[in-house]
Amino acid sequence: MAEGEVKEKAVEEPKKIIHTYPLVRHSDMHEEMRTESMELAVTACEKHSANNEAAARMIKEEMDKKFGPPFHVVVGEGFGFEISYECSNLLYMFFGGNVAILIWKC
Amino acid sequence: KRVNKAAEVDAELEEWKKAKQLLKPKDQVELSDAELKEVIAKVLESINPQTPDSLIEFSHAQGEFVPLPPPGNMVIEEKEPEIAEAAPTEEEGEGEQKDDDDVSYVSRADDKHDEEGEGEGEGEGDGEHKAAASKAPAKGGRPRKLTNSFNFSNVLQWVIYDGYIQDYAAQQLEKELERERREKDKAPVGRIKVVKRKTGRAQLSEAVQGRVFEYYRYWDDPSDEYREDEGTLLPLWKFTYDKVKKNTVTDMEWNPYYYDMFAVCFGFLDFMKPIAQGAVCLFTLKNPSYPDYICMTPSGVMCVDTHPKYPYMVVVGLYDGSILVYNVQATCKEPAYRSNNVTNKHRGIVWEVKWVPDMPDGELNFFSVAADGKINNWVLMQNDLAVTTIITLFLAGDASPGPDGTLLRVKGCASCVKMHPKNPIIYLVGTEEGFIYKCSTEYSSMYLLTYNAHQLPVYRIDFNRYNTDIFVSCSADWRIKIWEDDRLEPLFVFDVGDRVGDVKWAPYSSTVFAAVTAGGRVFVFDLNVNKYKPICIQPVVSKRRNKLTRITFNPKLPILIVGDDKGCVTTLKLSPNLRIPCKAPKKQQYLDQWTLQCMKLDKLLSLVREPVKLTLPEDTAGSEDS
Repeated sequence: MAEGEVKEKAVEEPKKIIHTYPLVRHSDMHEEMRTESMELAVTACEKHSANNEAAARMIKEEMDKKFGPPFHVVVGEGFGFEISYECSNLLYMFFGGNVAILIWKC
Repeated sequence: KRVNKAAEVDAELEEWKKAKQLLKPKDQVELSDAELKEVIAKVLESINPQTPDSLIEFSHAQGEFVPLPPPGNMVIEEKEPEIAEAAPTEEEGEGEQKDDDDVSYVSRADDKHDEEGEGEGEGEGDGEHKAAASKAPAKGGRPRKLTNSFNFSNVLQWVIYDGYIQDYAAQQLEKELERERREKDKAPVGRIKVVKRKTGRAQLSEAVQGRVFEYYRYWDDPSDEYREDEGTLLPLWKFTYDKVKKNTVTDMEWNPYYYDMFAVCFGFLDFMKPIAQGAVCLFTLKNPSYPDYICMTPSGVMCVDTHPKYPYMVVVGLYDGSILVYNVQATCKEPAYRSNNVTNKHRGIVWEVKWVPDMPDGELNFFSVAADGKINNWVLMQNDLAVTTIITLFLAGDASPGPDGTLLRVKGCASCVKMHPKNPIIYLVGTEEGFIYKCSTEYSSMYLLTYNAHQLPVYRIDFNRYNTDIFVSCSADWRIKIWEDDRLEPLFVFDVGDRVGDVKWAPYSSTVFAAVTAGGRVFVFDLNVNKYKPICIQPVVSKRRNKLTRITFNPKLPILIVGDDKGCVTTLKLSPNLRIPCKAPKKQQYLDQWTLQCMKLDKLLSLVREPVKLTLPEDTAGSEDS
């Protein structure tokens, strides 16, 4: 009986493969803008992997410098949202397996 | 003179002045002096001199013309539609006060919403973030925003995980498609619909095999850089067929048209253990798990040949001496032609069959060599095979007395035959007694030349593709010998320590050949690298159980196939050291591989051959004079 249970447990836990590559879920931006923003977001998150606020601040400041002032950035692991954004200025992506980044201009 | 000049200048000036007199137009108004002196003031007024005054419109209500008010001075260039405003709330009242300070306004709105969010006590992290559209016009009228609804409004751990899994799966699918596309591109078999191929099974098998396909195509043993004179063979696939598991592979041949397809004969060689059935299977590298075409035969198949021009015509020779010709395109079940079992057959094992160039009428014909000492030429007529005996091989010995006293000439027993690649009337026959006879189709009772090749049956003769005077022979007496035409002594002799089942020259090099032995080993020799020892000895199958019987090089790819006596065909890939191409010498960069290979072989041979004739150079410095 014990063996059967052990076997069941072994079967129940399949290998969990966690992907950490940056995955763009939705984007309105032009090609170059999107790649730049994505790389910027990845850099920021890697640099401030423990501090979402610092990462968001870095992203927002860089975006403002590059593409024009009113940008908003949210970096987090669990949130819901409802936004209005200026067309062709939205990026919504995952990174690191558990972090979501939302960048928009308004 | 100076005075004169001054006077002249004055005169010119006056003339110039006169010329510059103002021209009066003909209709100029003549004014009196008083009027001329009047000062007219210039005044700027805001009256538009171009507005129409006293506009009148007919009014149907009053039934008369009524004057219209003068049009205003405003011209509208561009007008944009207004965005609907939310009902004025206290916030908006506050907003109007601080119209320019957007940041604090927005953040205050956030605070309000945060409070609400926390009050509700739901959600994690930052709560909800709302930016109402009403704030848009307050910011200086940039109405370029749209509330675009995209369906990802929730960020939770499982959402992220699911997203990744989906994307990863999509990527894998892409890669599979890419790989398939690449395979299709890089392995074009140029299929003109001569042979009908089954592709469904092949594709499935491809997906399953996966890695091995990559190795077969792209992998080159990197350790060959460090091993100067040695090479390896990488085993790729094993081809088997269930029903003929017990049979020995007696012959294999690559299809001359499709370079990934080969025919394998399943028969048996052991006299003591006859196997009642045999088969010819056409395998393809695209589908290693099952043969593409299977023709079962009533007796073991000993040899096969595919016609170079019609790759679906396959002739097989059987153990019981009969010959079958299959048209695999039509059907694999019934042979298209069969040799008559009573009169038209051989009386011994058919060791070799070979297609020869078509008859002048276009009929296909082939040779067959059998253990009854006869070499026959068969022609495919309408429904039947017509046979003529080309030559009957007789032993060189004297006629020995038969049972009833008549003198019988003992017939030799041929075990292999090879047509000369350049000269279609010359062929070499190897016998069970170990002799190699050079024969011609023109002479049916005499040999052109007899080589005392081996002590035991000769199993294979193969001509070198680059120099057709050179051929190699192998025999059960453990030896591989390389001969040159017209020389009765071999150029090279190699002893490999076991019965050699087969030997073949490599198609890509003039000095490389490979042999298989009954000990389950494959030997690869390169005469250019080492004239005495093989550059690769590799056991391919287990020594005790399997003996290797046949080997063939693929004409286009660097792979070999090796057949053994358990009905299994193994594919091996040659490592780079075994297939070194020739490097052109600096002064002759333009030469192609073929010429280079021939040159290489010639150089090698000149080292080995003794000069045929030794002539003293003429003594030109005549001693008479001195």
